[in-house]
Amino acid sequence: MSAADAGAIRIAGLTRRFGATVAVRPLTAEIGPGGITALLGPNGSGKSTLLRMLLGLVRPDAGSAVVDGVALAGDGLGIRRRATYLCGELHVYGELTGRAHLAWCLRGRGQAALERACALAADFELPLAKKVRGYSHGMKRQLLLAAALAPEVRVRVLDEPSEGLDPTRRAQVLELLRADAARGTTLLVSSHHLGEVERASSRQLFLKKGELLDEASASELHRRARESLRVTWASPPGRSAIERAFGGRALDLRLEESRATLFFPGGGGIESLRVLLGASDLPDVRSIVYGELSLTELYRELYGVEGV
Amino acid sequence: MVRLTGLALFALAYAILLEAMLAAAILFWPEFAANLTAFRSMTSAIPIAGDMLSQIEGQGLPAYILGQHFFKGCNALGTAAAVLFAAPAVAGEAHRGTLEMWLARPFSRRRLLLERYAAGALALVVPVFLTTLTIPALCARVDEIEPYSPYLACAAQQSLFLLGIYGVTFLCSCAGSNPNKIALTLLFVTVFEFALYMIKTATHWSLYRLCDMDVLLDLYGDGRWNAPIVASLATTVVVTLVAALFVFERRTP
Repeated sequence: MSAADAGAIRIAGLTRRFGATVAVRPLTAEIGPGGITALLGPNGSGKSTLLRMLLGLVRPDAGSAVVDGVALAGDGLGIRRRATYLCGELHVYGELTGRAHLAWCLRGRGQAALERACALAADFELPLAKKVRGYSHGMKRQLLLAAALAPEVRVRVLDEPSEGLDPTRRAQVLELLRADAARGTTLLVSSHHLGEVERASSRQLFLKKGELLDEASASELHRRARESLRVTWASPPGRSAIERAFGGRALDLRLEESRATLFFPGGGGIESLRVLLGASDLPDVRSIVYGELSLTELYRELYGVEGV
Repeated sequence: MVRLTGLALFALAYAILLEAMLAAAILFWPEFAANLTAFRSMTSAIPIAGDMLSQIEGQGLPAYILGQHFFKGCNALGTAAAVLFAAPAVAGEAHRGTLEMWLARPFSRRRLLLERYAAGALALVVPVFLTTLTIPALCARVDEIEPYSPYLACAAQQSLFLLGIYGVTFLCSCAGSNPNKIALTLLFVTVFEFALYMIKTATHWSLYRLCDMDVLLDLYGDGRWNAPIVASLATTVVVTLVAALFVFERRTP
């Protein structure tokens, strides 16, 4: 294994179909080494299938992948020994205690990994002596996350690690991921939340219908999300009134009754707030959301992709 | 670990039930032998049962034990155990949603499946051998002397038959996602096969012919294994295991 391969994920033409449905179209990407790469896209965009293929849980129909210097082959055992995985779907053995569940998850990873997992779970304030069936949704997620973060590996593949967590725990998890990445670990993290991964990740990959949008599109999406405005008025405004208020500035406007989403291709979304509040021929403003469109909303606005 | 604990408890319950049935049958032997004529009149409507009684009349206690412990006890309880141990092996994980987590650990699929297969198979056959080992001691309670080895050979034949049923169910479990449906379907088929055995004109179609008193008495009497039956059962066991591995290797969580 070359030094460049250590901790890196290289994907070449990975493809997977389920019957007539193409879950992942030929997909090529290079990730890491090191850092947090976010895999974004609405439900059904192929994120989980891609992650499962990387671990050998789903067999690709075509293409290849190399994770931490190990080529994806057979059932992916070589990769699973060098990487950890957090399942997106949350199902646990309710009859086990938290500690026994961690031991089950970490079988084959060594005693040190189990001890680290228990320490992480203690940081999450999980009652490890209690049976997992009594855990809340978020607690179960944290338990499995502790198991995925404990082993000393160079690559972690995490499918929606913060889903179902309260804001405090979500921030704690993001901080843990950042610290892990700072130690040189490569984290490939899937999420629906652009705002969240924007803060934590160094790079974002956008999947749409099993296809990886190019990096330029990703940057553009990212920038447009930051520059977007969502305005709700007391009553539906006229499209021409909105355009008049902005005095011919370059504007991408999506209007649905009394709600509008505005993108400013040339930037300057924040200045537009003053324009909106000062416009006399528009109805009263009920709410303004700036730079916080979720990925789902962004996709819906930009590409008409439904889901989530 | 989860499944092992459950399997161990079920295997213990299965062993206790088998032993209780065996002990009751052997302790009842003196009365049974004294009332064979009365039993024959009771079974006049079921010719197959009459044939079994004839074998007991001719061969005495060994035929009675083979009928009670193996043909009745192990075939009935063992079949249920084989189906119930194998049906949730993989389908149970899919049903509860833990299949992905099970597969994501750093072990090969082959190893995961063989571990699971072996655990269920041991839970199925160990009680058959353990209870069989108590036959001589139980016979001593009714002043009869019986050897170990012919019964152990019969236990091996019985285990092979049960492993055949276990293998078929295990294969279904590797391909399916609903353990209850698999178990009910297989139990229905095996009950039907057992019922078929009791019909004089259709008995030769029953799978239970592969492990009935005729086969076991030959084995007990002169240690003669029925090669075609043993070969067909062993082939079933091997083929279903290989097929299960093939299906499981390609299974999507």
